[in-house]
This record gives sequence, structure tokens and C-alpha cells, in this order.
Amino acid sequence: MCENMPTLLNAYLDGELHGRRRLEVEKHLVSCAACRNALQELHAISDLLRAAPVPAFLPAERFVAQLILRLNAQGIALQLPRRPLRDRVPKPAAWAGWLVPAGLLGAWFFLRTIFTLTTAISAADAGGLLGQASAWFTGGQSQALWVMAINSLFSSQMSAAQQSTLSLFNQVSVFSGDLFSGFLWQALVVLLYWGWLAAWWFRHAPQPVKMVF
Amino acid sequence: MLATLTAETEADLILKSQQGDRNAFGELVRHYYRRVINVVYRMCGDTALAEDAAQEAFLRAWLHISSFSRGEPLLNWLYRIAVNAALDILRRRHEEPVEDEMLQRIPEQSSGPEDALIEKERLALFQQAVRSLPEAARSALVLREYGELSYQEIASVLGIPIGTVMSRLSYGRDRLREVLKEQILQAESEYV
Repeated sequence: MCENMPTLLNAYLDGELHGRRRLEVEKHLVSCAACRNALQELHAISDLLRAAPVPAFLPAERFVAQLILRLNAQGIALQLPRRPLRDRVPKPAAWAGWLVPAGLLGAWFFLRTIFTLTTAISAADAGGLLGQASAWFTGGQSQALWVMAINSLFSSQMSAAQQSTLSLFNQVSVFSGDLFSGFLWQALVVLLYWGWLAAWWFRHAPQPVKMVF
Repeated sequence: MLATLTAETEADLILKSQQGDRNAFGELVRHYYRRVINVVYRMCGDTALAEDAAQEAFLRAWLHISSFSRGEPLLNWLYRIAVNAALDILRRRHEEPVEDEMLQRIPEQSSGPEDALIEKERLALFQQAVRSLPEAARSALVLREYGELSYQEIASVLGIPIGTVMSRLSYGRDRLREVLKEQILQAESEYV
């Protein structure tokens, strides 16, 4: 048989060649005895395949009955989608049923984590383990820098009323500074916590079903 | 012979099956069972294995019916599942040579007992030859000869390009011709 002809002869046999390619093969077959013989053999193989007798399989009714029994026996019916996908959008009420306790549990766990960390840091600070670093998150200053500057420059010229006003501003400033520094590290803890939670979620999120049959 | 399903009836049965209606799915199974098991039988070469594979195929079809897209014919979708189920079952059996006891169930169409025996031996020889083909070539050949699919449909079912379908069919038939020649020669020498 000629080179490259087997594939074309198979396609010709199966009626998959059309137009110019079909005419080319037919023209070639007229002049090439080897390819004609090859085509005859292909015909014979195909005829043999199709003529092969078929055993008496189970009747369809019995097959279906067995299939249903198997579905029931394996409890597969329970996994079946009872509604089309478009209808299977969860309703808000169904979500709320488990979102509320899950949310409460999450909030409790979150607060518990913060409390534990705060206690640990306070204990470390009390034990002197944090050294100067404790000032960063506990504040530690009794006078704001800008109040100190005003005091050093104008304290002799200020009246008692002005000094008490300045003292009030100083207290507000120190308090807000302490509040900010206190919240800063807690916000950092929160961010780390949620970051870890998000990473865990992405790692354990349900994968789409692989459609390999 | 089962009545032909109209496109509307089939679409209705598919929709009901997707909604979990087992009777509707049973109707679809009844309708396609013969064609599916014939393809699976040619893949496995054994009646009992083919019946197991067909059960497995329809079971998988039931489980995944909700993902069936009506863009392709249901039969082609079933063939895809069936071919994979047959290959899985064969792999589980480690391609052990099988003696198909069910060959005794072949309906006797021949004129006498001798002819019937020859017919059964011929089928056994043939099944053995088909099973000796590599999985890839066997799948393409079975879908073409018994599934009566076009090259485009085979490509879609097996997820391969048309060019690959062509080369697999060419290789499969060529290999089958060689194996059958060897078997016939061997049978003749044993007879002499």
C-alpha cells in the first residue's frame, strides 16, 4: 500500500471523505492495485466486525430493575439532585439558621483570642520582658510633646485659666494617643487572625466536582 | 424493539431525570440500553463484564445527569460514560483473559450444531482479537463500528482531535487484520 494511504482509505471506507479529497482517493484507487486490495481487506474487516453475533444480554426490563435495586441498595438516591441547579440557591432563612450560631461562636472565639493575647502581653510587660517596647502600645507619656513645647516657651506668661485649658487638651491628647497605640496592635492582631482564617478557608474550600466519569 | 423517542419526549425525560424522577431515567435506560451494552460488550469482550460495565455506566449517568448539557446527543454522552466505565472495569480486572461463558447464550441462527459451534468459536476469536487492541484504538474502532458514530462524534466522545481518530482507526483495523490472520493461521495449523 502507498504511504499515507491507510488513513485516507479508512476515512474513504467510513464515508468521511468529501469533495476533492474523495475524488483524489478514487482516482488513486483506479491506478493502484495494492491500495485496492487494502481497501477490500478493510471492507472485509469492517463487515466481520459488524456481522459478529451479539449474545443474549439481560432483557432491558430486568436490567432496569437491577439498576434501580443497585441505586437503592447503595443509597445513591439520597445524593441525587432533586431539583435542577437553578432552583438550588439557598434561601436567606436557611442561611440564617446556621449563620447566627456560627457568627456567635466566631465572635466568641475572636474575643477570646484577643483577650488571651492581651493578657499574655500584659503579663510579659509586667515581668519586664518587653522592656522599652511596652511604651509603644501602652502609651506611657503623661504629657504630649506639643504641650511640653508650649509649657517650656510660654508657661510664665499663661494665666491659671489658660494653664487649666492646656492641661485639659493635654489629657485629651494623651488619652487619644494611648487609645490609638492600644488599638494599633490589636488591629494588627485582628488582621493577622483574619488573614490566617482566609488562608485556611481557601485551602479547605470545597473544590468543584471533577467531571470524570 | 423499542419505539423511537421523539426529541421532545427525550428532552422531557431528561428534564424529569434531572429533577430526580427515576421512572423517567428508567425510560431513558430502557431506550438506550441495547446500544450502550453492545458498545460496552465489544470493549470488554465478555458478557458478564459488559453487563457490569453497563450498570456502572448508567449509575454514573444518573449521578451526573444534572450536568448533562443538551448541546450534545444523549447517546454520545452515554457512550462517553460507558467507554470509560468499561475501561475502568477492565483495569480493575487487570486485563485478565476471560472465558466468556455467556457465549452459550448466543442465539442459534446457524443451520446445525456444527455451524453453531463454528459461529461461537468465530465470535470468541473475534472478541479476543478486538480485546488485544490497545485501549485507545479499541475505543475508536468500537464507537465507529458498533456505535456508528461519525469521526466528529468520536472525537467529541473521546475528547481527541479528528486527526487522532483517523490514525487510531487506521491503526486499529490494521492491527486487527494482522491478529486475525495470525489466529486463522494458528487455528488452521491446529486443525491439520
